[in-house]
Amino acid sequence: MRIGGYAPIEDYAVIGDGRTAALVARDGSIDWLCLPNFDSPSVCAGILDADRGGVFELHPAIPFETSRRYLPQTNVLETRFTTDRGSVRVVDALTLPDDCLDPMRELVRSVEGVSGTVPMRWRFAPRFNYGAEAPRCEWRQGIPVATRHAEAVGIASWDAGAPSWRDGAVEAEFATTAGARACLALTAAHAEPLVIPSRAAVAARLERTIRFWEQWSHERDYHGPWAALVERSALVLKLLIFAPSGASVAAPTTSLPEEIGGERNWDYRFCWIRDSNFIIGALLQLGCHEEARSQFWWFMQATALTEPKLHVLYRLDGGVGIDERCIPLSGYRRSRPVRVGNGALEQTQHDIYGDLLETAWLYSEGHHALDGDTGEVLGRIADRVCDIWRQPDSGIWEVRNGPCQFTHSKVMCWVALDRAIRLAERGEIPSRHMDRWRREAAAIRAFVEERCWSPALRSYTRIAGSQDVDASLLMMPLMLFDDPRSERMKGTIDAVRRLLQEGDFVFRYHAADGMAGSEGCFVNGSFWLVSALARSGRVSEASELMERLCRRANDVGLYAEEINPASGGFLGNFPQALVHLALIDAAISIRDAS
Amino acid sequence: MTVIWSAIAGGFLGTLALTTIVRAASELGLTRMDLPLLLGTIITDNRRKARAIGYAIHFVVGPIFAVGYAALFIALGHHSWWTGAVVGALHAVFTGTVLVNVILPLLHPRIATADTAANDVSLIEPPGFLMLNYGRSTFFIALIAHVAFGAIVGWAVRF
Repeated sequence: MRIGGYAPIEDYAVIGDGRTAALVARDGSIDWLCLPNFDSPSVCAGILDADRGGVFELHPAIPFETSRRYLPQTNVLETRFTTDRGSVRVVDALTLPDDCLDPMRELVRSVEGVSGTVPMRWRFAPRFNYGAEAPRCEWRQGIPVATRHAEAVGIASWDAGAPSWRDGAVEAEFATTAGARACLALTAAHAEPLVIPSRAAVAARLERTIRFWEQWSHERDYHGPWAALVERSALVLKLLIFAPSGASVAAPTTSLPEEIGGERNWDYRFCWIRDSNFIIGALLQLGCHEEARSQFWWFMQATALTEPKLHVLYRLDGGVGIDERCIPLSGYRRSRPVRVGNGALEQTQHDIYGDLLETAWLYSEGHHALDGDTGEVLGRIADRVCDIWRQPDSGIWEVRNGPCQFTHSKVMCWVALDRAIRLAERGEIPSRHMDRWRREAAAIRAFVEERCWSPALRSYTRIAGSQDVDASLLMMPLMLFDDPRSERMKGTIDAVRRLLQEGDFVFRYHAADGMAGSEGCFVNGSFWLVSALARSGRVSEASELMERLCRRANDVGLYAEEINPASGGFLGNFPQALVHLALIDAAISIRDAS
Repeated sequence: MTVIWSAIAGGFLGTLALTTIVRAASELGLTRMDLPLLLGTIITDNRRKARAIGYAIHFVVGPIFAVGYAALFIALGHHSWWTGAVVGALHAVFTGTVLVNVILPLLHPRIATADTAANDVSLIEPPGFLMLNYGRSTFFIALIAHVAFGAIVGWAVRF
């Protein structure tokens, strides 16, 4: 049920081709599509402005109910529309390129009548550049084509009615009967002529795309509990990896709000260094060695121009020019501003050094050797950590009222030096500064144990000297800062549950962060809690919580960044890679602890 | 022989300039014209190979056109950068009208035309009159690129 033209975030499914992604609502409307890449301006942004954003609708022209699923082991979506007059099956996919004259990007919507005769309607309203620019509506060889500057999109259709342009949108109606097939193919070009596909080529690419995803899933190596959700999470992760560079977007969307009507709306279509260790860890655990290799080398390439200083996030092509600006869309359910770009780039966040060194350690542990130049770079990064760890920063939550002495940042600086020492002992990086790394690591540990521990809370604290906690403390047992079964770790886990948990979910923190309004529960933190419980020996508690969390995925197994604990409604960008990475880690933690 | 070699050298440099101007305009979002893709798909339907082949064809055809320019200069008994620029402008008009809309569809098995019926193979969007299907600025860019080509050939030719 839409509210003011906006579908609930949990009503969306994602399809993608490793270069861009589209969000498909339960009612058959594609409300988010950027072309040609994840971080390009949108052509469909109805999710951020129902009036001006642009949509690609396809649904029965009469009242209907919907059920849907991904075709098994794929990122291809199947939606079944049931009406009084019959039912229809629609298969949506962003097809993968083949060796023929394929469109630069192609989104296929294949319609098959299942029973009865169902009147269908489709409407494509492209709005280039985040809805700012109306298209030139033209025709090429009977194909409706919309163009603007270097962008062009066309809709090739077969047995799907006679399309016509009206008010900047192309639309048609048709009826489908049992066994009848119709097809729509959105063909897109950027800075090149459009390719107008043939029906046979579209059908072949769709079939090949399904086979590719099945084969990829078949090659994954996970045997354990919650296998279906782990597989879905792996497929989401693969879908969010930008194939041309190997970088992974944090989420394929921008400005889906953390609070309805609020201002906490961010662009996640970039690659965060912070996610690197989770990504590499999950990829290696699932047997995705090619993806892990390309991801690791992307991190090293992206950071090469700035090392030993690291930026918080990088563009998918490895660049750092990411200016944050607000665009004049009305926002998801009037949640403004809608932001493009991300100002967190300018922040100082020390934890990312630990994330990168942990990534290198995991990569090395996965029997992948580091070359000498990479070892030198990692050594310089460890030296930098020795220089900066005493300084305050903006921390993992990218607060805008910092800098502060965040406990998590100190812990991750310790992780950076600990992993550097381990890599040096293994001969992967130069060992000439190892004594200094040991001294500074010991100093960090002393700081955390003395200044970041609250006897009153019986917990580590959010900030040195504070009397509160945040969800990032759950990372401490995951990063092996201390024995997960130690009294201090158990006390910290209990404090987080006591102070931040609401139902099955965990808030990030309750402290002020320089932004107005509030937010939902951080789904990622809930899975971190599962992992922390499992590693601290509380396996049955972890399993029960995991079971409940898995039931909170949407109907196709996806999660947004946050959730409203009362209503179960999703909040924030969707689907979020880090949540699915944390789910994989939680499942593996329970499996291993069991 | 001087005239031939100078024309070929000028043609190579001119093609370099023409290709760079069109590519830069494309990157700036001013046109969707992609000469290497258009030329390469005459030979193959593999878009990745097509671009490489298209660049090769372009750098072969460019000097051949330059030899034609040189023949025209000899007939006129005059050559200079501005004479070449004028010939380049005429060349652009010829390209935007006759070459891409009449001759190219005859040679190109994968470009859609007004006669294309329900297609059983994938086709490339046709350029249209003055290549305007590829963007409103396309002919202007093609004109600048060909004027640059002609000016360089006019400057380079020796006889």
